[in-house]
Amino acid sequence: MLLQLKNIFKWVNSGGQRIFLLKDVNLEVSEGEFISIMGPSGSGKSTLLNVIGMLDGFDEGEYHFLDESVHSLKEKHRSNLYKEYIGFVFQSYHLLDDLTVKENLEMPLLYKKYGSSERKAKVADMLDRFNIVGKKDLFPAQLSGGQQQLVGIARALISNPKLILADEPTGNLNSKQGEEIMELFKKLNDEGVTIIQVTHSEKNAAYGSRIINLLDGRMV
Amino acid sequence: MLKNHIKLFLRNISRDKSTFFINLVGLTSSLTCVLLVFLWVKDEVVKDQFHANKEQLYQVFRHVPNGQGSLNTYTSNSSLMLKALQQEVPEVEQAVAIFRINGNAMLQTEDKKLASIGFFASEDYFKLFSIPLIEGNTNEVLRDVNSMAISKRMAENLFGQESFAIGKSLIVKNGEDGLEDVFTINGIFEIPKNSSENFDFVLSYKKFLQKRDSRDIHWGSNSSRVYALLKTGVGIESFNSKIKDFIKTKDSENQASVFFGLYADNYLKNRFVNGKRSGGRITYVILLSIVALFILTIACINFMNLSTARASKRIKEIGVKKVVGAERNSLVLQFLTESVLLAFFSMILAYLTVALILPWFSDVTGKQLEFPFNISLILLITGIAVVTGLVSGSYPAFYLTKFKAISVLKGKLPISHGNRLVRKGLVIFQFSISILLIVAVSVIYMQLDFIQSKNLGYNKDNIIAIERQDGLVNNMETFLQEARMIPGVVNASYMQGDMTNFSNSSSNHRWPGQSEESKKLTFRHAHVGPNFIETMGIEMKEGRSYVNEVPNNNSKIILNETAVKLMGLENPIGTVIDMRGPNREIIGVVKDFNIQSLYEEITPMALVCRSEWISTLLIKIKAGEEKKTITALTQLFEKFNPGLPFDFDFLDSQYEQLYLAEQRVASLSKYLAGLAILISCLGLFGLVTFTAQLRKREVSIRKVLGQTTSQAFIMLSSEFIKLVVAAMVVTLPIAYLLANDWLSDFAYRIPLRIWYFLGAGCAALLIAMFTVAGQSLLTANSSPAKALRQE
Repeated sequence: MLLQLKNIFKWVNSGGQRIFLLKDVNLEVSEGEFISIMGPSGSGKSTLLNVIGMLDGFDEGEYHFLDESVHSLKEKHRSNLYKEYIGFVFQSYHLLDDLTVKENLEMPLLYKKYGSSERKAKVADMLDRFNIVGKKDLFPAQLSGGQQQLVGIARALISNPKLILADEPTGNLNSKQGEEIMELFKKLNDEGVTIIQVTHSEKNAAYGSRIINLLDGRMV
Repeated sequence: MLKNHIKLFLRNISRDKSTFFINLVGLTSSLTCVLLVFLWVKDEVVKDQFHANKEQLYQVFRHVPNGQGSLNTYTSNSSLMLKALQQEVPEVEQAVAIFRINGNAMLQTEDKKLASIGFFASEDYFKLFSIPLIEGNTNEVLRDVNSMAISKRMAENLFGQESFAIGKSLIVKNGEDGLEDVFTINGIFEIPKNSSENFDFVLSYKKFLQKRDSRDIHWGSNSSRVYALLKTGVGIESFNSKIKDFIKTKDSENQASVFFGLYADNYLKNRFVNGKRSGGRITYVILLSIVALFILTIACINFMNLSTARASKRIKEIGVKKVVGAERNSLVLQFLTESVLLAFFSMILAYLTVALILPWFSDVTGKQLEFPFNISLILLITGIAVVTGLVSGSYPAFYLTKFKAISVLKGKLPISHGNRLVRKGLVIFQFSISILLIVAVSVIYMQLDFIQSKNLGYNKDNIIAIERQDGLVNNMETFLQEARMIPGVVNASYMQGDMTNFSNSSSNHRWPGQSEESKKLTFRHAHVGPNFIETMGIEMKEGRSYVNEVPNNNSKIILNETAVKLMGLENPIGTVIDMRGPNREIIGVVKDFNIQSLYEEITPMALVCRSEWISTLLIKIKAGEEKKTITALTQLFEKFNPGLPFDFDFLDSQYEQLYLAEQRVASLSKYLAGLAILISCLGLFGLVTFTAQLRKREVSIRKVLGQTTSQAFIMLSSEFIKLVVAAMVVTLPIAYLLANDWLSDFAYRIPLRIWYFLGAGCAALLIAMFTVAGQSLLTANSSPAKALRQE
């Protein structure tokens, strides 16, 4: 089992009232799964994804990730954990405008203290694998949305994570580009990468092996 | 990683050139200013610090009650002080007396003649002061009555080469002191660069004593300066309280007390107020250092403000980096790297700028500054660059990296109200300093202008001052007679010392009906020629002046108003004063006139008509005929002094020399104030440009809802104008207090008027308005549809 959420609660206090963002969420994810989280706006999809990705905390409950108890870990350990095992893909790609495709891919490796030759090898490998060698010296603004998201996924994959978290990865793309991205996810999943995606689209959700529906922070 | 930081830094620059430019210009100019002030300060603080004995080397000062409730400080002492210190004061290891020759003396070889400055000094002079002898022996150089030492420069000028000079003879001539003797060159010295005193020859003090009229050698005649080396271990405080009444034990009539002051302090702490060292050049050293640091701070604030203002642009980068695994430390490091790099880059530019403008700066400051290129300087400027970078980078670095990645990536600008307040506070601070500097510069200028144009009680315009030298020594009267015949000459006379410095004083005068208090009165004392009062345009209050007087009739005296008032004389004319020598009858009273600088009140003054010890000839010429008259005077001068250049000064320019320090500081602070306001406005401009972008959407929505362009303009500009107004409110009271404090040093000062301050504030406001207006107008004018579509 890759991760397990037990009775997760998350809330904010607003005007003396407690508003629940997540309410008693229980979830187990095994390696190799492809999960889609669905639900209307404000139902807590992204919050759940961020909790899983350890970018956001929670107020109550337990979270186990590969035998580690995330809820009792110190900040530093937690960030080491997600750095090593989790890759993120965003709706608006979040590539750095000042860096070329190659440099954007290289960035995570810099923070993981890889040596220069190793970085080069991994970047070259990734460019090759995603068929974007010709674009390696372009800046994000010079790419189409689909190509940018391709780079975003390549960046998420470059340090071989066990888990990819994708927050509406096709939300900014047209349907053809979106399809290509989903096909890519499917292929990655077949190669053994665990994927959790948030999506509004039934069609995209169908690519996954399991669908989780959220409503007002509660799994339904 | 560092390579990566640098790469990102460079790309950021190319993407946001205006911000980079603002930061670069600001930091470069402020660092330039820091470097220049540093060079200036360094030059000031090392003055006279080269003397090996500086910890023990003291000058002997006299404090004399001035009869007006406080003490005046004099540097002169009786020539008897030297022996007395040497023989009677066990704490004194060595002592030296010098007598300064007033003005220039003429050094004459068989074929050359040069005017130069020098003094008589007793034997141990070169032992006490570390002025190295290139030739000669410190023990012997001034031992013989006819021995002298000359500077290397003088030796080269007179004999071609310094080694030729030793053992040669020179005639030294000086009118005022009746000196015309042959001296043998026994030593050649070279004055170190950091000496505040500059002179070309030193004569044996024995000659001075020999020539001095023995009647003039007593404890009331203060001709010399005395320096002493105290033995190590002597506590100066207790020694000073012990030596205080030294003169009184010699001469019970004498009011003066003795005070030993460290010689090395003389340059920086050159002012005495009521017997205590009180500022002087040190004030300006501290002031300029603070101003330079302030200007650097303003530039650093620009950097901080622009960095945090542009946070929204950088914040995405920070969020993404955090998500892909960057730790906060590495991000902080990245930002600090950027700011340090920028500071470094600016420092290199500043260094080049300094190298370029150093000649100009030397001119403004009246110094000969050099820009040494050595390891310690490089370390220092590197240090300054690093510290500047760290200071200006620290706030954005720690502020921008503290947010959680997720809140940043959600696209929310985590810029809090508190942050905006900090930014506003910083802008207020910048403008406060700018306004303060503007006030300072205007007050200094107005005071200087006031001094220049103040009615001094005499008319300093169109008066030529000629030093009495060479041929004029014996033929002064003839020269003046012939000068009066020149059509453009209105009047002519002569005086002891010059109009900006009556250095002689006398005391212990007695007169009928004298009160106990007025026994202590000290008079400034000068010998003047016939027609002196008319030539100078001094007004008579009562009695008569020295018109067509025959000099050296020792029975008459003219006093000034202040003297008469303090002496308590109802009917001064005809009163006879016992001056511990001849009795003199008061024949006239002149209205008060200012000598010395306007730092000082008018003191009692006595004018005696004598032709001895005269150093300056004064010639009043007609306005509008200056050129013709000077040509005629030049011819006349050449007749009396063949081969000598006609060297003269206009009195008003001599007068300006008195305020040289103030004038230099004024012109320096003018540039500094300009720089401060420029850098502040650059920062303001950057800030306005940025917020204008941020508020484009807001303005669009408001315009859709019916706001007019002019309303939008006012809304946008007022945000910043308010800050400048706030700065005014904060600063003007402080500026008032500071200005008042500076002016209180002057006995004659301008009154402070409210509009000086409002004017400075409005000037800053106006400049700020111009800065803000352009961008605000652009934003206010933009089409709402376009701005909203971009959303």
